[in-house]
Amino acid sequence: MKNLSQFLLLLLLVSCQAGSSDSPSPGSGVGGSTARFTISGNTLYTISNTTMQSYNISVSSDPKPGGKTALGTGIETIFPYRGNLFIGTQTGMLIYNTTTPNSPQRIGFYSHIQSCDPVVAQGNYAYVTLRSGTPCRNASINSLDVVDISNLSSPKLIKSYPMTNPHGLGVDGTVLFVGEGEAGLRVMDISDPANVRQLQYFDSTRAFDVIPYKKQLLVTGPDGIYQYSYADMKQLKLLSKIPVQP
Amino acid sequence: MNRLFLSISLLAGFLALDGCYGRHTPEPPTTSDTYRPVYAAYAEIRNVQVRGPQPLRVAGKIYVKDDYLFINDIGTGIHVIDNRDPARPVNLAFVSIPGNHELAVQDSTLYADNVVDLVALNIANPRNIRVVRRVENTFDYPAFPLATNVRFECANRDRGVVIRWERAKIDNPECYR
Repeated sequence: MKNLSQFLLLLLLVSCQAGSSDSPSPGSGVGGSTARFTISGNTLYTISNTTMQSYNISVSSDPKPGGKTALGTGIETIFPYRGNLFIGTQTGMLIYNTTTPNSPQRIGFYSHIQSCDPVVAQGNYAYVTLRSGTPCRNASINSLDVVDISNLSSPKLIKSYPMTNPHGLGVDGTVLFVGEGEAGLRVMDISDPANVRQLQYFDSTRAFDVIPYKKQLLVTGPDGIYQYSYADMKQLKLLSKIPVQP
Repeated sequence: MNRLFLSISLLAGFLALDGCYGRHTPEPPTTSDTYRPVYAAYAEIRNVQVRGPQPLRVAGKIYVKDDYLFINDIGTGIHVIDNRDPARPVNLAFVSIPGNHELAVQDSTLYADNVVDLVALNIANPRNIRVVRRVENTFDYPAFPLATNVRFECANRDRGVVIRWERAKIDNPECYR
């Protein structure tokens, strides 16, 4: 009898374990290019218009406030890449390393004219979009800058490509997605950084930010959330839409 | 003689500094709009609640973790979506977080801004999300309106948190930017 109850208890424990197999995996997830919160290793970084705050999240349920870093003004976005933080500002892109997670050190700066500009990175390149219009200041340029970051301390512009009204962007392999706001969604072939070409353009998918994730593209926009499959990069396929209901 | 010279140079120096200061400090605008803060009590904004699924109103930032999608509804909270089948996403719940715009996930913890606080929520069971930690007053207090070159009634932290600024006629507002 005692053996039976122990067996049943064991069975119950095993079944519980099996039931929780879809619980979150260790580590962080993926955010968009316009994020102001990001995670690198065991540190959460948040940015305000002027500063970056770090939180030690070695025990994820217990975030401990750490160092505060002054960044300047017009700070907009933060993107983690290979132990570095790429920070989009209204005047350019700041690069910090996180060797000392609690107090990141500035190692590089890529400067451009004043505009709104998220940044993403992959391989030896960073992709920065510049957008004119409110709330960004005086700039009247809309472009995609491809920047060589093989030397993080001196990023160099390879080429600037004209865009319509870019808000957010995402990169995966040889493909780059750009949310063009009211003007739609653009899919670009970036296999040659000096000759970026358009693969597809969806003028009716109003898009702010994009996240490529496991060959699926998440798109946020004023009409809702779109999900596309880009298993075939030349032909995106709409999977679903979560509509906004005003 | 030397001492007199020193005094005069110091005085001249101070005058010069004062002159610089005067030239670079903007005068308060006198003709522009005036604003006043609209407050919410701290207890009111520090009220995070998990509700049933809600329709998406204004899509903000998004975050993907494993098979789940987290969508910020600007200023109000986070929609939790079961995205195991991206062709048929299932809306599971809405976490109401006043003032929320940003989010990130590590392990089974979701971090979100709640006006001036950072909240950590346990999402191990996306159907039973709960606050596990709150870091109070870690973000800047919203002490001024977004607009520049305006005058406004100074914000008073003791009266709560400023949730928005409304245009109003105010006699001699003491703050400006």
